Amino acid sequence: MDTLLLARLQFATTTSIHFLFVIVTLGLVTLLVGMQTAWVLTGNPKWERLTRYWGQLYVINYVLGIATGIVMEFQFGLNWSGLSRYVGNVFGAPLAIETLVAFFLESTFLGMWIFGWHRLGKGVHLALLWGVAITAYASAFWIMVANSWLQNPVGYEVRDGIAHLTDFGALLTNPSLGMAFGHVVSAALLVGGMLMAAVSAGHLIRRTPDFALFRTSLRIGLVTAALAITMVQGFGFAQFGPVGAVQPTKFGGDGPESQALIAEWTTRFGPGDYTPPVLASVGLGFMILIGFTLGCVWLLLPLLFRDWVIRLRFPLWLILLALPLPFIAVILGWISREVGRQPWVAYGLLPTEQAVSPVSAPLMLTSLIGFSLLLGTLAVTNWVLLARHARRGAADPALGRPPAPPSEPAHPEPALL
Amino acid sequence: MDLAWYAVLGLFFASYLVLAGYDYGVGLLLARGVGPAGRREALTALGPFFLGNEVWLVAAVGILFGAFPLLEGELLAGCYPAVVGALVGVILVTVGVQLRSRPDDERIRARWDRVVVIGSALAALGWGALLAALLQGVPLQADGHVAGVTHLATPFAAAAGLAMVTLVAVHGATFLTVRLSAEAAAVVGRTARRLVPVALTAVALATVVGLLSARVRDAVQRPAVAVLLPVLLVAALLAARAALTRQRPGWALVATGAALALPVLLVGAALWPYVLVSTTDPDASLRVADAAASAPTLRLLGWVALPLLPALLGFQAMCWWVFRGRTDGRAPVYW
Repeated sequence: MDTLLLARLQFATTTSIHFLFVIVTLGLVTLLVGMQTAWVLTGNPKWERLTRYWGQLYVINYVLGIATGIVMEFQFGLNWSGLSRYVGNVFGAPLAIETLVAFFLESTFLGMWIFGWHRLGKGVHLALLWGVAITAYASAFWIMVANSWLQNPVGYEVRDGIAHLTDFGALLTNPSLGMAFGHVVSAALLVGGMLMAAVSAGHLIRRTPDFALFRTSLRIGLVTAALAITMVQGFGFAQFGPVGAVQPTKFGGDGPESQALIAEWTTRFGPGDYTPPVLASVGLGFMILIGFTLGCVWLLLPLLFRDWVIRLRFPLWLILLALPLPFIAVILGWISREVGRQPWVAYGLLPTEQAVSPVSAPLMLTSLIGFSLLLGTLAVTNWVLLARHARRGAADPALGRPPAPPSEPAHPEPALL
Repeated sequence: MDLAWYAVLGLFFASYLVLAGYDYGVGLLLARGVGPAGRREALTALGPFFLGNEVWLVAAVGILFGAFPLLEGELLAGCYPAVVGALVGVILVTVGVQLRSRPDDERIRARWDRVVVIGSALAALGWGALLAALLQGVPLQADGHVAGVTHLATPFAAAAGLAMVTLVAVHGATFLTVRLSAEAAAVVGRTARRLVPVALTAVALATVVGLLSARVRDAVQRPAVAVLLPVLLVAALLAARAALTRQRPGWALVATGAALALPVLLVGAALWPYVLVSTTDPDASLRVADAAASAPTLRLLGWVALPLLPALLGFQAMCWWVFRGRTDGRAPVYW
């Protein structure tokens, strides 16, 4: 095993785990904003209970998003020092902006939101959640700016073998960016909606208390998922044009543009295999299949009338069993986007093998095994906790629990279940 | 321009050590045998600040990547074991603190708390060793890469790592003295006072080992700074002890915070104008100016960061202000 392959495996593992959590974060926070806003506007306690229940799942899910995100940020320097050496002047800027503009504030706001129940004014508390959501979207945007630059490097010039920034605006108008950003954001809404619908369906199947509560979140989840899947499909197919124009080799294209590009690379970088692994096209194919399957969620919407979706029961089972599909689809989509960029780390500019750090293979292998085990264990633990809390129901989530009444002896531990 | 960005980078990393330093200190002190209620009380004291503390690290590394890309690659890859150690520690603490109270079983919570203790120790050891690695120079070669990672294995790196562990422990105990209810604070205040001599010994040991190390003596460009700042660090620790004795925990926290910020200033100032000093080839040493991104990138980041810094600091200050004071029975409990 060579260092390059090990470094790529490590990046793929970390990023896949990261993506599975942040996509839920982005989708759920949007729905939470709606719920808490409804609570503040209407004062209906149902919305408070919904916000607390889904907020608790959101906060548990957020933990692994941060943990894997920190690992990813360090991994650029640890394993891909060539990336920062040759293209860091351009690629580093959107990442630096993301940490400052988005992530820094997102976490600060979230800390105050978790501990701000019963302490801050309702308006301020709601504003904090809006802040969390806006910075989460900003975060996704800047990460996509950085990623799109790797897909289609723009706005730079190479001097002495090193890329320098010439036009930052070009990074923002990158043809690789717009539709892909819409696609990812809609996918997050789809995942958030499907998760909400599936967890609610589980409760409705088991006939737990809180029928009204889970009926509401089932409806919100289904409508969100239906709108989102259509947007996912639209933004997805809209990408074929720009991607075909700027990355003709991506999905194994064999047309004249692709051949011309490979001929140009051969003269500039020497002969080599410039077609990406077939995994990119396979991933794309299966993702599109899942995308069409999930489109059937529209068929369930008429059943919302008079709660037929609940009374018939089998649609609830379908929703529950379909939950893994959007997660599989986002991973496949990510694989096709990233694997389709190979053998380049920055398309047509920096070959992947030149970006890897000059670290010994045994050290890289140790790091790969160590981080995969650590993050894999934490991810599974996190999912188990999520499933338990989802199953436990909305009776009394720890999030937003009122503090013990002052007559009780001074003791910060509230009565536990 | 590069000096300004170098200062901002130092500011963010030092702020991280000061703020997350008490997270790790509180984390280490979970091992002091105070029972489940006492451990939960300590984590409740961290409460709302916890998430806002570690983001200083994320921002520091973001600035490192954006403004000093060359340094980012060589430093992290060249000090791989120290960085990975610190990183694993950071992950264990962030996950452990946030998830430990989600199961109801006290035995599982106690297991998570042990994860937090180990993570806190790893994070402090790793960052201490990384700062030491900078101060003792790295085998930077003419091709710009650091050769191997065995250069890390020195008595000085070990001593600096241990010193960092003792510093965060003192800082964490002092933080709890400020935050816990009056009676619990009196107990942990005594712990803090007892930890100060331990930290003083560890800092003195690291300083002596550093002075005896030829690599450190060769790498340091400004010996006066390299001697003065450890003296200041010792003074800060003595000031913290005096303040704790006089029941002024707020001032003690300022002093222990200064003790955690000073090592960053020490490394930055003692090596200036270099950031990576080569132990093998003096011509290969990396200057701050050469490590920095090119001018258009720094200008762009300046336009983004300058208006943003007040907002970042303002929202953090809002968090400190809203949740100031001692925790009591009505403090929100979540971790």
